[in-house]
Amino acid sequence: MNYFLKRTIQLICTLITVSIITFCAFYVIPGDPARVILGPDASDEQMDNLREDLGLNRSFPVRYFRWVSGALTGDLGKSLTFRQPVSELLGQKLPVTLSLAAMALLITMLISFPLGILASGRPGKFLDQLLSVLGNIFFSFPPFVLALLMTLLLGLTLKLFVAGEYISFTESVPGFLASLFFPALAVAVPKIAISQKFLRASILAEKNKEYVRAAKSRGLSDTKAMVLHIIPNSLVPIITVFTIIASEILGGSLVVEMVFNIPGISRLLITAINVRDFPLTQGIVLYLAGMTVIVYFLADILHSLVDPRIRLK
Amino acid sequence: MRNIIRYHRHSPYLIVGSFFVGIVLFAVLISFFYLPHDPYATGIATKLIAPEFEHPFGCDHEGRDVLSRVILGTRPTVLISLSGILIALVLGLIIGSIAGRVGGLIDNLLMLLSDSIMAFPGILLALVFVAVIGRGMLSIILGLGIVFAPSYARIVRSGIRQLNNREYILLARLIGVKTPRLLVVHLFPGLLPQLLPALVVGIANMALAEAALSYLGQGVQIPLPSLGNMLMEGQSYITSAPWTVIFPSLFLVMYVLGLYFISEGIRIKYGSGGTEK
Repeated sequence: MNYFLKRTIQLICTLITVSIITFCAFYVIPGDPARVILGPDASDEQMDNLREDLGLNRSFPVRYFRWVSGALTGDLGKSLTFRQPVSELLGQKLPVTLSLAAMALLITMLISFPLGILASGRPGKFLDQLLSVLGNIFFSFPPFVLALLMTLLLGLTLKLFVAGEYISFTESVPGFLASLFFPALAVAVPKIAISQKFLRASILAEKNKEYVRAAKSRGLSDTKAMVLHIIPNSLVPIITVFTIIASEILGGSLVVEMVFNIPGISRLLITAINVRDFPLTQGIVLYLAGMTVIVYFLADILHSLVDPRIRLK
Repeated sequence: MRNIIRYHRHSPYLIVGSFFVGIVLFAVLISFFYLPHDPYATGIATKLIAPEFEHPFGCDHEGRDVLSRVILGTRPTVLISLSGILIALVLGLIIGSIAGRVGGLIDNLLMLLSDSIMAFPGILLALVFVAVIGRGMLSIILGLGIVFAPSYARIVRSGIRQLNNREYILLARLIGVKTPRLLVVHLFPGLLPQLLPALVVGIANMALAEAALSYLGQGVQIPLPSLGNMLMEGQSYITSAPWTVIFPSLFLVMYVLGLYFISEGIRIKYGSGGTEK
């Protein structure tokens, strides 16, 4: 079967399963959303009317299809506490979280690629060993502990940034990016370590391939072979690594946002969980998971374009 | 003892890792017998005092001894990470062996399910779990167990598929070994080289997830101390009393770093390349 078609079907199946998991999780919980909205003093009649409005007394499949078709058209229902459409709330907060994640991803690439190339230069020598040990140490630093320590060292002691200060996108764009820099760095550091490690291994594997030796024996200099052949080819397997990293960065940003007091999706999610605002929680979870699935899909497509052999597997 | 040290002499990762994890496990052990101070005793006189002889790690905003709380706080972290990984492993073994042995449609469905669970970024699904079943130790363990299970199911499944066609497995089936025995006696041991490092890393990731959940106020609930919720409480006082943040972080990082190092050591020693998540 055509690879793209097969992959698209897979994408749709995964999205459906993700939506079912998200929906079921909140379907089975005890507690009545109508009671949450109206409070303990509401009469039975009021409760019945509201249940009718929210479609709560329909059967499970009907409710699921309503919810999914709503989600597809961008209507995720109304938040119980904020009395605002969920999609509106998401639209306000999601860009902040996504900018943070994107910046973290960019920092990861910008730092880990040179380090990976540097480490693969003379494998087993001092620099390589040092990077490997440092990598293993930083790899195991939880992003939020790193964020706290950064606040302590860089923010409070060295005064590189003001702890807890956040400049919104509408106020000033450079200010917004600057206030996201350190949070993004905290998210990125463990990922830099892992990406550097994979890139080093990938370059070393590529270096010993026959086409590189053939190119060199025809008189290609080491630098040219590195830049023209080895690095581009060793980046191909890194695509997969980066897909996983991207998903983890999104998860890591959630916690780091709380440390740096950034008004992203995280605070909204925690509030929603604390006050048991399930339409809102459901909407956030579905969007975040759905985005991850789509990123995986796009990465697979990119991978197959760069390396068509994948399509045969 | 000397032989053990000599045997591990060439794997510094294993030694350093075991040392770090040993410190944390030791803290858990002594938490059952002795705490320097009552971890719940508050006091205005000791409010936010800096580390000194009587309180080596200082005191927090309610005047509680940070050392005692750190010692007690290692307990939920270690308990949750170990029991959570056990659940993840058991689920992973069951799902992975069904998918690997039966194959076909069931295999596809199970893998679709595990793909979908893995699509939820980081601790998001664990947060959902806590939101649904309620906070508390048991729901964290269960939630994290389910979140981590798919990655082990994948390792088990692909391992079993590789081993399925080995001669010793075919011969075992030929002489009539039943499937359960075949799995437990013949297939599972063959998976150990891949499974063991992944399990050790899994314990570390689970400890991190627990700490993150507690930090967000969704995990271990105050007043019961855990390394994560101590960080949450200490964060507001990070300027005036950094020790309330530094010492819990130190123990968390030692545990996680130690486990990663052990896993790296196992991997180098038994040469089963590839870094798992």
